[in-house]
Amino acid sequence: MFLAQLKNELWKLFGKKRTYIGFGAFLLAQTAMLCAFKYTKWQSDFEKLLNGNGYLASEFISVLTVSVVMLIPQIMLLMPLYATLVGGDLVAKEAEDGTLRMILSRPISRVRLLFVKWSAGIIFAIALVLALGLTAMSFASLLFPWKGMFVFAPGQAFSVLTAHEGLVRFIFSLLFMAVNASVMVSVAFMFSCFNMKPAAATILALSFLFLSMVMENIPFFDRYESWFITHHFKCWLLIFRDPAPWSQICQSEIILFAVSATAFVIGALAFQVRDIKC
Amino acid sequence: MIELRNVIKKFAGRIAVDDLSFTVPRGEIFGLLGHNGAGKSTAIGMMLGQVWPTGGEVKVCGHDVQSNRRAALMQVGAIFETPVFYDYLSGWRNLEILSTYTAPTSKARIREVIEWVGLTGREQSKVRTYSHGMRSRLALAQALLPKPELLILDEPGDGLDPEGIHEMRQTILRLQRELGLTILLSSHLLNEVEQLCTRIAVLQKGNKVFEVNVADVKAARGRVALKTNNFTAAAKLLRERGLIIAMAEERFITLADGHSTADVTQALVSAGIAVEGVWQHEQTVEDFYMSLIRPPAAKN
Repeated sequence: MFLAQLKNELWKLFGKKRTYIGFGAFLLAQTAMLCAFKYTKWQSDFEKLLNGNGYLASEFISVLTVSVVMLIPQIMLLMPLYATLVGGDLVAKEAEDGTLRMILSRPISRVRLLFVKWSAGIIFAIALVLALGLTAMSFASLLFPWKGMFVFAPGQAFSVLTAHEGLVRFIFSLLFMAVNASVMVSVAFMFSCFNMKPAAATILALSFLFLSMVMENIPFFDRYESWFITHHFKCWLLIFRDPAPWSQICQSEIILFAVSATAFVIGALAFQVRDIKC
Repeated sequence: MIELRNVIKKFAGRIAVDDLSFTVPRGEIFGLLGHNGAGKSTAIGMMLGQVWPTGGEVKVCGHDVQSNRRAALMQVGAIFETPVFYDYLSGWRNLEILSTYTAPTSKARIREVIEWVGLTGREQSKVRTYSHGMRSRLALAQALLPKPELLILDEPGDGLDPEGIHEMRQTILRLQRELGLTILLSSHLLNEVEQLCTRIAVLQKGNKVFEVNVADVKAARGRVALKTNNFTAAAKLLRERGLIIAMAEERFITLADGHSTADVTQALVSAGIAVEGVWQHEQTVEDFYMSLIRPPAAKN
């Protein structure tokens, strides 16, 4: 029965046009960035950076390198926006539209209903990241060859990897990005469970994420950086370090899972005590 | 089927429902009547476990809604005033989605209810293309999916045109006749309640001000309509002779015990007052409702 409910929740989620706003925006952004990388000084600057560090640039300007170059700004700027947009809709939109009242006239428990919705949100987050990663690679492969990988993210990674090793790390990075997106969905979902409009839930979740990012970047809070959720989001870039700091990555992933679960529990508690009225 | 005992609901200190008690036995069409804001929807919300009572007990199908909501609602269908669906999906898909919140439902059962409500042929169309009447029928279909024994209708006539109201009324009567359902409906439309319900409870500011059988209201024989060339003089004469105990609205009299309309006619004719008509007034639910909600000072 859970699977049938989840399947139907996914029908609801993926039947809506606004669910695809994120996918569409990512496609546009990737196209723009790919062209910018290819036809502006961006690529030559990158080559200078590689050559200056003693590497043959032509061996590392590749599909994988360009894919990560395209992903970094999208993950930082666009991912929170579209993940919270969908997460904020999950409960609050149904309450606003009135369909929640119809659902809750049936004998399904509130916690179960929320679990189904949250699971659908997590599946959306995974799908969004997969689509993002696959389209980045597909787009990059149109203009660049399959060669070694170079990753440069100031303060996070400066690595040169073989194509095979690079692909493995890229797959891991997608996995960690999916966890990040799931946390974003979960935070928005939590606000969505309170008595508020969907837009308010999205804005609150975005505010929470941006506040975390701003505070993390204030030098005074350096020693408290592990308390900020956005600090742990960076583990998708840490995987490109050589060697990968697995203990740090695992610690961050556990914290992110815990944040997600906590957001669900808080949301469920708020929803459980709420009166559902038209 | 439904039992509310001393139910109270407060929203931020404001009392929405105050010490409400009533029972709805199997097979009855029970009406909750009251103005907007009288507490009807809140009471229904508590029956469906959507609104948590501040005090009291709510039982549906023999189960406490707060402690055993699942068992209480297993055979309950509900329709709300403005039927809302996932407009971007088909009627069929909407029914599939909603059915999974109760129990596994076969395609044959979905087909059966679609046929019952008369939506066959349009079930694969997106709900956004449905008319208001078709949405109402889809709402009925979703309510019938779990083979309910109890149907709860919150303001079912709201937003419907006269034709839609007539269709809705016929459907409710058909539901009881063909499927033997117990039905609770809330409404502020007196005419609707009068034509459908076997019993009503009148709510005002969260309080139940009266509960009565509709048949009893209609059969109330306390008032007699009197049409004469001088109602005031006639009433004065009848009161002096002890034939009536009250008069109202320049056309109604209430007979004293042991007296009939024949006594009234005879007394008036013998006193030279022309009598154009004397008849038992059949009280409508509207008369009854208005008499309940009218401030006491305005009553005669």
